[in-house]
Amino acid sequence: MTSNNDSTRGISRRNTLATTGAALGAMTGLAGCMGGSEGNEAQFSPIADELTVWHAMGGTNGETLDGIAAGFEEEHGIEANMEFQDSYENVLTNTLAAFDSGNVSDMLQVDSLFAQQVLDTDQVRPVAEILPDDFDTDVFLDNVAEFFTVDGELASLPFNNSNAIMYINRDAFEEAGLDPDDPPTTLAEVRSASETLVDEGVTQYGITWPNHVWFVETWYGFEGELMTDAENGHAGDPSEFYTPDAVHDLYEWWKGMADDGLYTNPGIEAWGEATSLFIEQESAMVLTSTASVAGLIADSEDFTVDAAPYPSISETRVGPVIGGASFYVPDGLPEDRYEEIGRLLQYMAQPEVQTEWHKGSGYYPITQPSVDSLREEGWFEENPMYNVALEQLQNGDASDPATKRALLGPARNVQTVIQDKSVDVVNADDVGSEIETMKSEVESVLTDYYE
Amino acid sequence: MTNAIQYTKRRFEALKGAIAGDDEDEPLAVIGREESVSVHLQLWLLVGMVVFPILVAVVVSTKQQGIVTSLPDLIPGTYAVENYREAIVDYGFGRFMWNSLLMSVVVVVGKLVISVFAAMAIVYYRVPYKDLVFLFVLFTLLLPVPVRFIPLFQLINDLGWGNSLLAITVPYLASATTVFILRQHFLSIPNSIVETAKLDGVGPVKFTLQVLIPMSRGVLVGVSIIMFVYAWNQYLWPLVIIDSEANQVAQVGLQLLQGDVQGGQLSWSLVMAGSVLTLLPPLALMILFRKPLLETFAIQQK
Amino acid sequence: MSTREIFDGRLEAALLLAPTLLVSVVFLYYPTALAFRTSLFDAGFGRAEEFVGLENYLTLLESSAYHRSVAISVLFAALVVVGTITVSLYLTFLIHEVDDGQGWYLISVIWPYALPPAVAALVFLFILHPTLGVLTGPIEAVGFDVDWFNDGPQAFLVVLLVAIWKQIGYNVIFMIAAMKDVPDALTETAELDGVGRLRRLVSVYVPIMTPTLFFLVIINTIYAFFGTFAFVDLLTSGGPANATNVLIFDLYREGFSFFNFGVASTKSVVLFLVVAVLMVIQFRLTEEYSYYGA
Repeated sequence: MTSNNDSTRGISRRNTLATTGAALGAMTGLAGCMGGSEGNEAQFSPIADELTVWHAMGGTNGETLDGIAAGFEEEHGIEANMEFQDSYENVLTNTLAAFDSGNVSDMLQVDSLFAQQVLDTDQVRPVAEILPDDFDTDVFLDNVAEFFTVDGELASLPFNNSNAIMYINRDAFEEAGLDPDDPPTTLAEVRSASETLVDEGVTQYGITWPNHVWFVETWYGFEGELMTDAENGHAGDPSEFYTPDAVHDLYEWWKGMADDGLYTNPGIEAWGEATSLFIEQESAMVLTSTASVAGLIADSEDFTVDAAPYPSISETRVGPVIGGASFYVPDGLPEDRYEEIGRLLQYMAQPEVQTEWHKGSGYYPITQPSVDSLREEGWFEENPMYNVALEQLQNGDASDPATKRALLGPARNVQTVIQDKSVDVVNADDVGSEIETMKSEVESVLTDYYE
Repeated sequence: MTNAIQYTKRRFEALKGAIAGDDEDEPLAVIGREESVSVHLQLWLLVGMVVFPILVAVVVSTKQQGIVTSLPDLIPGTYAVENYREAIVDYGFGRFMWNSLLMSVVVVVGKLVISVFAAMAIVYYRVPYKDLVFLFVLFTLLLPVPVRFIPLFQLINDLGWGNSLLAITVPYLASATTVFILRQHFLSIPNSIVETAKLDGVGPVKFTLQVLIPMSRGVLVGVSIIMFVYAWNQYLWPLVIIDSEANQVAQVGLQLLQGDVQGGQLSWSLVMAGSVLTLLPPLALMILFRKPLLETFAIQQK
Repeated sequence: MSTREIFDGRLEAALLLAPTLLVSVVFLYYPTALAFRTSLFDAGFGRAEEFVGLENYLTLLESSAYHRSVAISVLFAALVVVGTITVSLYLTFLIHEVDDGQGWYLISVIWPYALPPAVAALVFLFILHPTLGVLTGPIEAVGFDVDWFNDGPQAFLVVLLVAIWKQIGYNVIFMIAAMKDVPDALTETAELDGVGRLRRLVSVYVPIMTPTLFFLVIINTIYAFFGTFAFVDLLTSGGPANATNVLIFDLYREGFSFFNFGVASTKSVVLFLVVAVLMVIQFRLTEEYSYYGA
């Protein structure tokens, strides 16, 4: 289906409906409302006169975004509405629906997981073509630029990017006789630390993390293993889902941790529950996004929190897959809007804005100038927790295709299968056969999509 | 049909008594003291179970962090004002409530008006193929939102109504249930009254205003409450069709109160404050108008 | 009956009926027809529609995951019906039996009728959370391991519990009315015969309440199939391991997470058939019992 050309894509259904709808509209006197948004010039209509940005940043991060919009308006005299859509999943759904209905937002914050799904619509314009000419795309860190470049062009503006890292409760570690300055770096070490914590009665569980596909992806990445053929979808249409030995090791470990009460599952996509468990000191370790740094520091009133690199399956540490999101811009808005959009994009990549965003959220700064300025002011020495993810990223081997997050057309569907099946695998007696089921289910989703 | 009406009427009477609590004139089975105590105890237990969850919600909405992990934690906190203010103002929950209210009021008024029209035509007009028309309306009971929400979603978008008040009100305006209840009620208005009106040469407008509405007050209030609760509690459709914070309804907006969960925030106290706020309007209406509400339910069953 | 038809302006009648008919056609019948149509296509956001005939239906026929979803929904509906009716019946009976405070008891059990399902789901998520829940401690203290984020049957039980809890109020509303209809003479006769309280409920009240109970069976079944989306969405998202993936949630996910409109529409059609069967049964029963009460 990637081979569909532009003229058929998305239009034919609309035509059918529009015809039926028009007949109906005439009958019901609603004809005036029927959308006539199919011209080639401006295929989409903007949501408002001001720029609209759909994002998935709630709470304080959302407030920081609003602040950025205010700063932009002050500097450029252009109004921008930051509209919170609750979750990346909602941004994705609303984006696809908007492409269908014709009323689209000017910028869309798309989770890197869903990048391919948005690219496959062929309805987005590469930001490289929108950014002002004087914008230097080389400012982005290599690992970041690498991921967001499609067909040699920067497809979307990287903005809030993160790795999964591990947070530990220093007090709990000390109480259990563990060294908080030497946190576990492999799964085996996580297990032994968890055993100590639980046996000593310090916390109820050793570790927790949200049941989200990102963590599984990160384990693949560190192990240097691809998830799918075609280089994780970066080099063509994938059809095969790989489950190397390391993945069996991962699930055997995961199951063992669950069976022995060392790990607790906070639920599917349960980011908030996972951190709550950590803050409530039910679990002494939590794997989650670097974006939680600011929140965890603020909320851990009763103990000292620290951050550590992500524990890998084995001693192999190739590198993490990049997470977080980037801003896409629809293609087909009235041309005069692109200049303003370009200015907002440029503004958001400015070192000062990136620095402000990093400090307020914990997402790492993604441009070299911003990293440099943070280093200069000694920020990372004072706030070493903010450096963990950045260091982890820069230590990673960006040239290894395994560290590039998978680009899958049916990403949401694959994600759901992996998350659902992860629970199955962990509960199963025979880990191997459940992994086989996961493999075949993922592959059937891929086949259905790409056939 | 007349049997059914008499039956319904008897139900009204019985219900009125039950709700007003004036059962003294209706000698019930004589129960012994001990037995009565045991009945009350069981009731207290069951009522407790029914009420407990919402009490927890109320308590949590008054606490600072909102994480309550054991029963002793269930002592009310002192952050009620702060939490509700934060939910309503900072998180824009007031806006969601307003949207829900707008949606519900438009649905109630719109549905009521067009359903009264339809029921009136069906009962008081000589219409060819009347049964067929009524069946056509009744048949929509088979088409709840889940059966058609994907095409409806596309239709609404093609109409250019996506993300608007129109999207969450107009599709709800046709109501088989309401037309049905009103029809049943109109049929139960004594024929003599209708005939008198006819002899007096009363026109349809006058008939509606002077006969129909005064005779149907209870039912109209009852169906309004049913419709309000129904509209207010809609979740799936707004979730699908509304995609901007400014137009979101309370049901879906509740999730936004969790804060940035991916960033590690989960404000249970705000979620519970929102929950309590969301419950208040339908609950208040239900308690205020419980009598007409229950009477109307009795018709629905027929 | 004909005497009620006091007006005969055809145009007037047509105008009065027009809004209801119009909205019905445009927003109810037409989308349903489209769902039937789309069920024969491969369709989704941003892709060209492709006619596939009955392929989507075959897919569902062959999909073990979908069969499982059907089985789960049927079991869920059956348990919701039995659970709700049993609890509500007993509760109604108790309320019926007391002399004082009846009005208060009534209000305090029927209020969840007004409770938004999303609120019910969030409150229960909070109370029964496997590690943070208020009731988790007490429940685990009696030796039961609360683990419904991992354990399918437990998750099913939690959703079931919330679904029943939320529906009790609605059932009591109808039951109390029906119970009031039981002639006092019958109650007194039973008392004189020394019939125990519970037996009186089962052998005197229940038979007389049969029409109401049948009505509630259907209403509760429809509720179990269609009214429980928010519970599943907010509590379990269909998991763990699809243990709570009831048809309505499965349909939503197919449509709005996976964007397979063709298959999703096919699933809509299946659901339509479910409602249709239930409604036919209801109409039949209503007809059969409409003379019963008099």
